[in-house]
Amino acid sequence: MGATDAVVRSGVVSPFQASLRVALRRMQEVWARIRHSRTAMVGLAILVFFIGMAVFAPWVAPYGPIDRVADTSNCVPGVTCPLSPPSAQHPLGISEEGADIYSQVIWGSQISLIVGIFSAMVASVLGTAVGLVSGYMGGWVDEVMMRFNDVVLSVPWLVLMIVVAARIGTIDLLGLILVIGLTGWSITARVIRAQVLSVKERLFVERARMIGSSRSHILMRHIFPNAFPLIFANTILTVAVSILSEAVLAFLGLSIYNTVSWGKVINQAIGGGALVIGGNVWWLIVPGLCLVFLVFGFYLFGFALDEILNPRLRRR
Amino acid sequence: MHAVDGVSFDLDEGEALGLAGESGCGKTTTALSLMRLLPYNGKIVSGSILFRGRDLVKVSDLRIRKIRWKEISIIFQGAMNSLNPVRNIGQQIAEPIILHEKVDEDEATNRVGELLELVGINRDRRRDFPHEFSGGMRQRVMIAMALACNPKIVIADEPVTALDVMIQAQILELLERLRKELHLSMILISHDLSVMAETCEKVAIMYGGKMMEVGKTVDVFTDPKHPYTQGLVAAFPDIRGQRTMPASIPGDVPSLINPPSGCVFHPRCKFAFDRCTAAEPALAEVTPGRRAACFLYPGVPEVTPRPMTVEAR
Amino acid sequence: MARILKVMVRKGVNAAITIFGIICLNYALLRLMPGDPALSLTPRDPKYQGLAEYNRELFGFDKPPWEQFAIYLQRTVTLDWGVSYRLGLPVFDVLMRDLGWTLVLVGTSTVATIIIGMVIGSIAAQKRGKPFDILSTATGIFLYGMPIFWLGFLLLAVFEKGSIVGHYFTWWPALPSQGYYDDMLGPWSWDGAHLTSAAQHLILPALTLTLGTLAGISLVMRSSLIDVMTEDFVTTAKAKGLSDRQVLRRHILPSGLPPMVTLIALDIAFVIGGAYQVEVVFNYYGIGWETIQAIDNLDFPLLQFIIVVGGVAIVLANLVSDFILLLLDPRIKVT
Ligand SMILES: Nc1ncnc2c1ncn2[C@@H]1O[C@H](COP(=O)(O)OP(=O)(O)O)[C@@H](O)[C@H]1O
Ligand code: SF4
Ligand SMILES: [Mg+2]
Repeated sequence: MGATDAVVRSGVVSPFQASLRVALRRMQEVWARIRHSRTAMVGLAILVFFIGMAVFAPWVAPYGPIDRVADTSNCVPGVTCPLSPPSAQHPLGISEEGADIYSQVIWGSQISLIVGIFSAMVASVLGTAVGLVSGYMGGWVDEVMMRFNDVVLSVPWLVLMIVVAARIGTIDLLGLILVIGLTGWSITARVIRAQVLSVKERLFVERARMIGSSRSHILMRHIFPNAFPLIFANTILTVAVSILSEAVLAFLGLSIYNTVSWGKVINQAIGGGALVIGGNVWWLIVPGLCLVFLVFGFYLFGFALDEILNPRLRRR
Repeated sequence: MHAVDGVSFDLDEGEALGLAGESGCGKTTTALSLMRLLPYNGKIVSGSILFRGRDLVKVSDLRIRKIRWKEISIIFQGAMNSLNPVRNIGQQIAEPIILHEKVDEDEATNRVGELLELVGINRDRRRDFPHEFSGGMRQRVMIAMALACNPKIVIADEPVTALDVMIQAQILELLERLRKELHLSMILISHDLSVMAETCEKVAIMYGGKMMEVGKTVDVFTDPKHPYTQGLVAAFPDIRGQRTMPASIPGDVPSLINPPSGCVFHPRCKFAFDRCTAAEPALAEVTPGRRAACFLYPGVPEVTPRPMTVEAR
Repeated sequence: MARILKVMVRKGVNAAITIFGIICLNYALLRLMPGDPALSLTPRDPKYQGLAEYNRELFGFDKPPWEQFAIYLQRTVTLDWGVSYRLGLPVFDVLMRDLGWTLVLVGTSTVATIIIGMVIGSIAAQKRGKPFDILSTATGIFLYGMPIFWLGFLLLAVFEKGSIVGHYFTWWPALPSQGYYDDMLGPWSWDGAHLTSAAQHLILPALTLTLGTLAGISLVMRSSLIDVMTEDFVTTAKAKGLSDRQVLRRHILPSGLPPMVTLIALDIAFVIGGAYQVEVVFNYYGIGWETIQAIDNLDFPLLQFIIVVGGVAIVLANLVSDFILLLLDPRIKVT
């Protein structure tokens, strides 16, 4: 019988609380394994570094994200602009708009993390809901949802996002999160659906159904706790994808106007002549490296978690 | 971690040996070691496997590959997972024939047909895929495959565990008939003692990765020496009667990662005394033709380094 | 054969439904947004005066919604997709021209990615836990997380003719980029000079796209092979006396490949996303580059069918993968 039942029987708790409790206990076991996985710990260390950078940005960054620290209105990048190259005062140089690039890189971690995490959460909640319902209900509900899922998977979202944003004119933080989150759920839905189908096969769900539990009850009490670790690992991986999506959008010119993200810094670096002979290459390299390492951190952690949680890889 | 340790038995031509014990006690691991097939994280630390005067632990990789299936073949527990799902069964049965015997395609196809008929399957089904067979039929395919190269020894690792009772009897009868007809030596692995009682001349009882008792089947079942065997036999009210799951002995299967000190059975043994926790009994002769690993019998020594020895003549 | 036909008919119907869904979604998204659709389909530039009226006529914006939809559907199906503002050419012609070059780029790098990725993945799986495995997996995860446009700029900085490295070290191998081939050669013809130039121009973009998508294949190849390696039938194969190579070729690969085919099909969308970035970075004038130009110029007639064409491409790629899957895996039936 599922572990949840023991918990429900042992005290006066709702099935939902019980399923959460079991999920939590699983997480504790998982944490014990994480501590022993070198891959997971390296990933986690990278994440802690960047989260620290984002949280302490106001104290660490010498200037604000769009502060003008120099008048660059007459600058020809890399040619007549003396302020462009790195200096002691501005370690990564000054942008065309006269901003301190070093500060911008520090502030950029905030947008990457916020957009990455929140849109992954939007995508995960949506994908999990669709996957759970579709996998559990089966029949025509599943059929319709999967066809819709196919459509969502096939639409070139990158183009659609830019078109929509271009139609609206500008985009704010919430818009960006929704745009990335609402378009990134379909793979999660498929993963979760497959997992539900395999859990469903197991006997205890059959038994619970015969006892006369309602469908939503089975979903919450049996299937969700089983799928929860997988959902968690999948969310971590989705964060990485979302961070990359934000960067690509910013690079293509779709970004929030009054702040900076690493993708936007790279976009400005290209426009500001970072690649011209004698240009400020660090302007391009450093934000890119930050992106690469942050995403690397999420992937390392996510893959290690997946390996810990995915019993197929653990067998033998 | 030592999954299997202190295993020792011998097998004569045409003889059937039963290897019994609760699941997780290392039966499969023992079988895999015999063919040097331990997974990537396992290896044989010490010991010898003598097959016709050669030590299989020491022979080259090339040599062991020539011995596999040609001399010793194996039937695994779950036939669904033991057959490759994306290749038809004819290809899979023909594969070792083509590999070990220099025969052409037609000859191999012919042999596949004969083998299928031998196990009671229409030869026209050779182009079918494993998922198109029922569980019992799949196990028949596995048996046909195991016999493909006329091996000297067939290891059958729980050949009927996954099947339902009616089919179990059929498959066991088939195995027994083929063994007699083809003069095979067989190692039959099972946790079901009644299976052994019907087919095996000798049995070896395993517990916690170690061998507890070895002897003639009739003797062991009528007069078990080792307390673990006694418990097992008592759990089968009538060994020759209906096949039922054994009522279990109180206590849990021991952890092989962190085995109990001394005799592995002592936490569950009602005869355990001081020496049992301090030292480990070795497998030694307690009456003529019977070996057991238990300090209740005088002259059973303590273990020093325990070699794994298996002999086949 | 009957099995394959049956499944493909069903998949074909599903694909048709999906394409219809994409066409509907495209219609809805572009029309449900605020404002007069005829106006928003028209650039604000005064030189496009009159276009709004033309569009209103063409797409029937003054008609009731269901009639609009019918007109839109009919135009979509008959490939009468209107005229691109930026180029003054029929949208369909523009897209077909660009599609050719994008297919060259995506095709080259997809083939390279699949071959190299599978080889690396299977070596890593066989050498599980050994240095090659650890190194290739770590590099893989690293590359997997690299924004493709950034990788493109790095390669551009290092290998392009007249780039930073080439500027200081004249012996450094320098490759041309910007465009499909050297403009000096004149319009395209199938001669040696054009082909050589086109091949050279292809190297950097294709290399970027390959590096950016390689890890997706090699990492999953590795884990799906490791999955298969622990299956009992692999132990059976070894017990038969097959060598490690024979086991890999005859048993592990054939049953490890079906999940790979599914993955590669899912990956096509990712590759197409990567192609947009690469085309912009290297000014490779395919669909991706055209898209960005269209956005800058608010060339909506072009944009709305770029979405349809991209979606259809992905659906077709999936259909092909389903077919290959059927050939590889005898277990698939109509469910
Ligand atoms: N590859 C492996 N890695 C670690 N432990 C293993 C491995 N294979 C088997 N074991 C352990 O060895 C013990 C013996 O297993 P096995 O031989 O399959 O037992 P049996 O066949 O008697 O049920 C089990 O406790 C199992 O957990
Ligand atoms: S050695 Fe001791 S503990 Fe072990 S079986 Fe014999 S009596 Fe029991
Ligand atoms: Mg076993």
